[in-house]
Amino acid sequence: MCGIAGRILEQPGLIGVDLVALMQAQAHRGSDSTGFALYGEPRQNSYIVRGVASDRRSLDQTLDEFSQTLRAHGSDFIEDPSWDSTAQRHVSLRMIVSELDVRAWLADADTQEGIEIQSVGRSLEIVKDLGISHEVSLKHSITDFVGSHGIANARMATESRVSPTASHPFWARPFPDIAIVHNGQLTNYFGLKARLQRQGYTFLTENDSELIAVWISDRLSHGLTLEEALQSSVGELDGVFTYIISTPTQIGMAKDRWAIKPLAVFTHEQEMATATEEQAVRKLYTDEVPISNLDGPGYSTTWDVLPAAGG
Amino acid sequence: MGSKNMAERVEITAGDRPVREINQDIRGQVQAGKPIVVSNTMSRHNLGVGLPAGADILFKGSVGYYCGGLNDGARIHVTRDCGWGVGEAMATGHITVDGYAGMSAGASMLGGSIHVRGNAGPRCGVAMKGGDIIVEGSIGYLSGFMAHAGRIIALGGTDDAAGDSLWGGEVWVDGPIGSLGVDSKIIEPDSVEVESVEALLAQHGLDGSGRDWKKIVSAQRLWHFESRDARAWLMI
Repeated sequence: MCGIAGRILEQPGLIGVDLVALMQAQAHRGSDSTGFALYGEPRQNSYIVRGVASDRRSLDQTLDEFSQTLRAHGSDFIEDPSWDSTAQRHVSLRMIVSELDVRAWLADADTQEGIEIQSVGRSLEIVKDLGISHEVSLKHSITDFVGSHGIANARMATESRVSPTASHPFWARPFPDIAIVHNGQLTNYFGLKARLQRQGYTFLTENDSELIAVWISDRLSHGLTLEEALQSSVGELDGVFTYIISTPTQIGMAKDRWAIKPLAVFTHEQEMATATEEQAVRKLYTDEVPISNLDGPGYSTTWDVLPAAGG
Repeated sequence: MGSKNMAERVEITAGDRPVREINQDIRGQVQAGKPIVVSNTMSRHNLGVGLPAGADILFKGSVGYYCGGLNDGARIHVTRDCGWGVGEAMATGHITVDGYAGMSAGASMLGGSIHVRGNAGPRCGVAMKGGDIIVEGSIGYLSGFMAHAGRIIALGGTDDAAGDSLWGGEVWVDGPIGSLGVDSKIIEPDSVEVESVEALLAQHGLDGSGRDWKKIVSAQRLWHFESRDARAWLMI
């Protein structure tokens, strides 16, 4: 019974402010952890890497090892890494790295102890941590983030552990800039995971939502449009789900054939706000706008992100 | 439906206030015998739950989950849409929804009536034990799922799996049926039953005459589960 949300702004702005509001209104749906996948200004010839180091006391060593692996792949930090200034054991890292082959680098980088890579993208940044929306926002300054769109999740853990890494959103490892939030549980998780692993995909967690992100991205890499991939997931994924997936140019959603997990949406021209609960959307629109409930079984749809001016 | 002039109603604002506080205000005015209008409803959950006979309340706007749940005789009117479970487990009373009635409208209701002027979402009347749900538009996927008793009357057809796993309730349909659910069948209603439905519709200002009724009831094959029938339960 997690709460999920998605938001597209008419033009780049304080995307974090709206997503924090959408999630704070749904904090009662899951207080284990809250997370945000935010799309800022796309970078050229570099990637933003978001990750978590497990021990603040050995951070210097962790970053050292991390940069060695980068250099072995012909890349390096192009800005000094930054991190949260709390006294908590785990450290949330933001790193800007120069051009690299993401898939080949991950094969090595994911073997490093003490650090977990949570997202890689030209514009995507996944920030997720324990606690409810405003707690995570305070710690990570989500409301300062400027971007075009994003998705978010408040998690009530059911089938895997509670930790920053096991929180939503999940990155579609190793596809840059694709993220997912999910409300539900898959029942054919292990079979699908084994199939994707045989194709060479790796997973950071035991979470079924991470699998959906990779499954969809794999379909996209085979030439399907997001619309086609979402619709095919309705037949291929078994279980209870309503999920929202985001790319640099679109946000999409799909729900299973039992249609138990709700999703409400308001659109106006290029602007879109969606959330599990209609009352959350009304936090952004206080004038009784018409909100649609996507209640039909096996339903899927997408919303386009308006290209930034001059982009 | 006997709506009082707005000016005669005591106004309570929902907005961002704690739902407990809003419901305490509602209950206070009900005890004072005042008809109520709740404004700035903002799709808030659990509004007007467990109200007694004599309560007369108008929600001006859209409401969230379980509006009018556990209704014990109140007359409730929502001028726009409802979220999940409007009138859930109500015992008696009446709820009118002018817009879309969301998912699981009238879930587990025991008695009373719900009148939806728009459409109803999936699982309308799920597990209902009595009472009537009248929908002027269509009813969603799996409507009437495992209903034990009571009537759902849809004047604008159904989505798929209509009357799935019905136990003892009835789903009356005018308009197209998307598909029938597991273990349900269409039977010809007799004239006494049709008169009863027409009379019920007339009470709500609707004309029931000349309609092409299809009455969906349980085929009763699943009343007694036998393992050899297991496949009949599987719809996917």
